[in-house]
Amino acid sequence: MIDLDSVAIAINKKMIVEDVVMNAEEGQFVGIIGPNGSGKSTLLKAVYRVLKPTHGAIFIDGTDIRQCTLKESALKTAVVPQHSYSSFDFKVKDIVLMGRSPHKKSMEFDNETDLNIADECLEKVGMTDFADRNFSSLSGGEQQRIVLARALAQQTKCMVLDEPTNHLDVKYQLQLMDVVKSLGVTVLSALHDLNIAAEYCDKLYMMKGGHVYTYGTPEEVLTAENIKKVYDVDAVVEENPHTGRLSITYISDRTKRMRAAKE
Amino acid sequence: MEYTKERIGNVSTVTLILVLILVLIAVMIVAISIGVVNIPFEKVWGVVSYNVVHTLTGIEIGDPNLYAKGATYDIVWNIRSPRVFLAAVVGMSLALAGVVMQATVQNPLADPYILGMSSGASLGATFCIATGAAALGGMVLGRFTLAFFAFIGAFISAMAVLALSSAGGRTTSVKLVLSGTIISSLFGAFSNLIIVTAADAEEIQELTYWMLGSFASAQWYKIVVPAIALAICIIYFTTQCRHLNTILMGDEVATTLGIDLSKKRKIYVIMTALLTACAVCFCGVIGFVGLMIPHIVRAITGNNHWKLMPLSVLVGGVFMVLADIAARTVLGGAELPIGIITAVCGAPIFAYIMIKKTYSFA
Repeated sequence: MIDLDSVAIAINKKMIVEDVVMNAEEGQFVGIIGPNGSGKSTLLKAVYRVLKPTHGAIFIDGTDIRQCTLKESALKTAVVPQHSYSSFDFKVKDIVLMGRSPHKKSMEFDNETDLNIADECLEKVGMTDFADRNFSSLSGGEQQRIVLARALAQQTKCMVLDEPTNHLDVKYQLQLMDVVKSLGVTVLSALHDLNIAAEYCDKLYMMKGGHVYTYGTPEEVLTAENIKKVYDVDAVVEENPHTGRLSITYISDRTKRMRAAKE
Repeated sequence: MEYTKERIGNVSTVTLILVLILVLIAVMIVAISIGVVNIPFEKVWGVVSYNVVHTLTGIEIGDPNLYAKGATYDIVWNIRSPRVFLAAVVGMSLALAGVVMQATVQNPLADPYILGMSSGASLGATFCIATGAAALGGMVLGRFTLAFFAFIGAFISAMAVLALSSAGGRTTSVKLVLSGTIISSLFGAFSNLIIVTAADAEEIQELTYWMLGSFASAQWYKIVVPAIALAICIIYFTTQCRHLNTILMGDEVATTLGIDLSKKRKIYVIMTALLTACAVCFCGVIGFVGLMIPHIVRAITGNNHWKLMPLSVLVGGVFMVLADIAARTVLGGAELPIGIITAVCGAPIFAYIMIKKTYSFA
């Protein structure tokens, strides 16, 4: 569904991402993990066409995205960017309705169907009561959920998310991931929380310095050895008896020093 | 968001638009009736409606001897109407250009002149008045000479800004605003150079009046071009409301919602540049309207362009006609440049809106 073929991206002639091959099958939830500056966001920006790859090609639904207009891309892929700042305020309802834009001709007004879709999407993210509030009056986490609702309103087969759980409380982190997972669409998402990645992803790509360091199932990728090599952090990876999923516990330098001192 | 159901407070948007159209007509009639000789409203209405319909369609809706002859006809239709109509057209144009420019550069403090058009137009006018280009151009262009030079100046500055902002990569809102500042100061410097080296006292006075804007020299022939430009822009930008809303959310979001921002920006800038240049070249640089009117309307309607745009255009027209009444009555017999009126009336209203809590930009 989403295929990246030896993609390289340079910003101001500096290579940020090099030789990335990536693939998300239809309906798969694919996570991209890696430390800050490893090129996750840059790569996603190329997928949602804010940046152009310097080399390689990106295919969505079998078509090279360069062959599509931006509107065609917007009908295939919805995006939840990292954070969006705007000096202009809108009603929450109007923002969610903007997700219907790619489906509309320029003079077409939103109809009953669009309104219903917007309502459903607000309900899915648990923000129905906020429909008539101003976007700027919402907290960062609430805004993020509205942005997700807007992406849902696009009703696309693919979704690209850039660290969607940033700014969210635990409850809403899980709720947001549950909502996205339940859609059954193809998802490509950058994630910073490895436990969340382990819980929700079918496949993980671990990036380091603009390259894919390794990829595979969460069990294959999230090993103590890989985490040490890529994040330079000691961790214990074990099966969580309550969830049956991987659980990653980090061991800070401070803990190690204190332990050493005790011994 | 079906348009007819969309509401502002307790009133539907369509009702508000219709009411404002009536207000605009009423204000224009009042403006035409006021002068050295006051003419009753019903006479003004008779003459104006007869002549508007007759000019546009050729149909006579009344007695030509009553409405198309005599002293009242001359004062109403040939002397006062051009001025009032031009004020309305320019007010609407500047408000529309302001709305579009604020969205295009994603900056609520943008105005139609942000791309250096005021200094471009001023340079054109200065060149024309102070260097004798007027005499030379006058042979070819006749009464359009000054307007022609101002138009060319405004348009060149806007195109220079567009070229500069897209040099070395895609056009962003920040680059547009910076390029506008650069071209503005450069063209301003050229104007001052011409004034210092070539202009005499009389020419400087003429320029000062021109730069502050005035409708005193309005004639019917001056309305045709701005009116056509306004009509085209109203039609075009009405089809762009959805895109303008989305652009306000930022470059990245607009792109992911399917808008080719680079292309749209260029089209919007060229259209508003033409619209502004057409307005400015016949009546000088009238400041504040293009910034203030969209702001005031924004405070009431929010940022949704389906509401913001039509209401701003109408309020812009009403405001400019009122400001022009003030410009020619406040000092008794003498004329005041309208730029002074727009700033003096506008500043307090603007301040009030800014302090008010419901103000809707973050």
